[in-house]
Amino acid sequence: MLGDIITPDLFASALRMATPLALAAIGGTICERSGVVNIALEGMMLVGAFFGTVITLATGNAWLGIIAAVVSGVAVSAIHAFASINLRSDQVVSGTAINILALGVTGFMMERLYGHPGTTDPTGTLGPVFKFAMSDDGFFGTIWNWINGIFLSHTPIVYMAIIIAIVAQWAMFRTRWGLHLRALGEHPRAVDTVGVSVIRGRWIAVLMSGGLAGLAGANLTLEQVGSFTENMTNGRGFIALAANIFGHWTPVGSYLASLLFGFADALQIKLQIFRGEINIPPQFFLMLPYVLTVVVLAGVIGRAVGPAAVGKPYEKE
Amino acid sequence: MNRKWRSTIAVLLALTLLVAFVPGCASDDTEEPTTEEPVTEEPKTDIKAAMVTDVGGLGDKSFNDLSYEGLQRAEQELGVEIEVLESREITDYESNIDQLATAGYNPIFAVGFLMTDTVAKVAPMYPDTNFGGVDEFFDPVPSNVVGLNFKEQEGSYLAGVVAGLATLDSFDSKLNSDNTIGFVGGMDIPLIQKFEAGFIAGAKSVNPDVKVISLYAGNFTDIAKGKELGYSLIEQKADVIYAAAGAVGLGTIEACKDKGALFIGVDADQYLTVPDSGDVMLTSMMKRVDNAVYETIKAMVDGSFPGGQIQVFGLAEGGVDLAPYHDFETKVPQAIKDAVESARTDIISGAVTVPEAP
Repeated sequence: MLGDIITPDLFASALRMATPLALAAIGGTICERSGVVNIALEGMMLVGAFFGTVITLATGNAWLGIIAAVVSGVAVSAIHAFASINLRSDQVVSGTAINILALGVTGFMMERLYGHPGTTDPTGTLGPVFKFAMSDDGFFGTIWNWINGIFLSHTPIVYMAIIIAIVAQWAMFRTRWGLHLRALGEHPRAVDTVGVSVIRGRWIAVLMSGGLAGLAGANLTLEQVGSFTENMTNGRGFIALAANIFGHWTPVGSYLASLLFGFADALQIKLQIFRGEINIPPQFFLMLPYVLTVVVLAGVIGRAVGPAAVGKPYEKE
Repeated sequence: MNRKWRSTIAVLLALTLLVAFVPGCASDDTEEPTTEEPVTEEPKTDIKAAMVTDVGGLGDKSFNDLSYEGLQRAEQELGVEIEVLESREITDYESNIDQLATAGYNPIFAVGFLMTDTVAKVAPMYPDTNFGGVDEFFDPVPSNVVGLNFKEQEGSYLAGVVAGLATLDSFDSKLNSDNTIGFVGGMDIPLIQKFEAGFIAGAKSVNPDVKVISLYAGNFTDIAKGKELGYSLIEQKADVIYAAAGAVGLGTIEACKDKGALFIGVDADQYLTVPDSGDVMLTSMMKRVDNAVYETIKAMVDGSFPGGQIQVFGLAEGGVDLAPYHDFETKVPQAIKDAVESARTDIISGAVTVPEAP
């Protein structure tokens, strides 16, 4: 039975399900490192998913759709940036408002554009980047099939997410921009005194998080599902926030945390298949990813301490 | 500090306005431009019928849309005035029903199992208003409420017969030789278990050795999860998959198209409602919520609202049925069609009783 549960497909499924979480989580990491809380990831993801679909349906080109998803995510995040940085409003309230707004606007525009609520017409999905044949060459063939099945069967944004995690990690801890970003979240006044604009630095970080959340939305619609349905993000933005905390506000950490959540979700599906043999109700498996979230946040992985100035609007003296 | 508060309030107000404006627009699709008013001989009534959707909302291609179809038919054929309010959150149920009842709508349909408690609570507050609860069961039934229930297990039994025989067959290249079929459920609640139980019973009745794998998504909205569930079933060699999971099933259809398996739709004839699904859509288990809603309004127009009752619509009452095979019409062997017919006869005559829980 174990051999039936632990298959290449289990890990491939984990990678697929981790991708939208990871992109949004990395966005959240960048945003919070700059000192701005972003609980609007869910809404930004939803808007990205929607406009990615709209542009793909209009142009027939999924790549233009992906660009549109990123741009629309950035546009929505600009509302959050303006409210929380320039107007210094409460960042949690602004984020909540954006989540509700995104739900309403996408539903409303769908009616206006397509004349019906619910689900859009199918866009088709982007195929895998590589297409390698399976091998039946004994031991090495099996190893190849595992590598092929787990790592080489994916769509473009899945690979993009891995690259983004690594690049963002490097940029955050090895570049001048990264130093400024981290300082913005810890001690914005210090950044201000050395002549770097807090406002500008935070704006860039918030816009980046919007773009990444939009890309996460594009992954959901253009790669996974192939159409947009109202409220299809289904709380992923909030799980991404947890992944960001679990990952200790680092991009690679966020990615790995998302991978763990994705794995828990993939595993619960596999366990459901064999529930007849182990006789456990499916509700138990369905709650696994959430139990994991709570356990993780309860401090099993060590105390998570966020940036000191996160959530505090910066006021120049 | 003062300035900060002012700005905060300004932004909040602006956003509140925007948000408040959205639901208002979302429901105005009901006022469809009636450019061609059908000239019917039906006498106009002054009955105003309304419905409150579940959180799936209109466009779910499932019971919300079907209830609305029943309402629209009543508008066209009986001349009643209609209205629909969509629930975005579970917390909208009560305020939506209140709003309609206060505005004088009667009857009001509350669509979906999840609204049961709300209807039981609100109905006594509006004794002069009649309520129809789609998929809702009450005990006791308030005198101004009718529960509209369906024997989903009977229709699902027929779907099981089709799936159980199809997986043994090879009329389509997507069918394999492993004797395995799959079921995708939304939430693991008694309502969805009726679908699962009927499906399994139907499949086993014609193919006792068939392996049926059931997976639950835990919700009715996560399409991406539906696709992963579909992938997992197909990896387990399931070649016919039946989904009773709302929008989650749309993701499962994608998985079937992607990895090659046949799909059996639910609630509506999904061949007609899901675009580009013809290659995999073997048939659908139709739940005629539209008929139930229409008949209830008609009874009301005729002055005989069946208040205080639970009405159950099964195969015999035309409440559930299988949709046409459409693109598979010529491919599906006559033996399968005959088996479905004989199962139907047996269920209606009472020779076969379909279980409600797996």
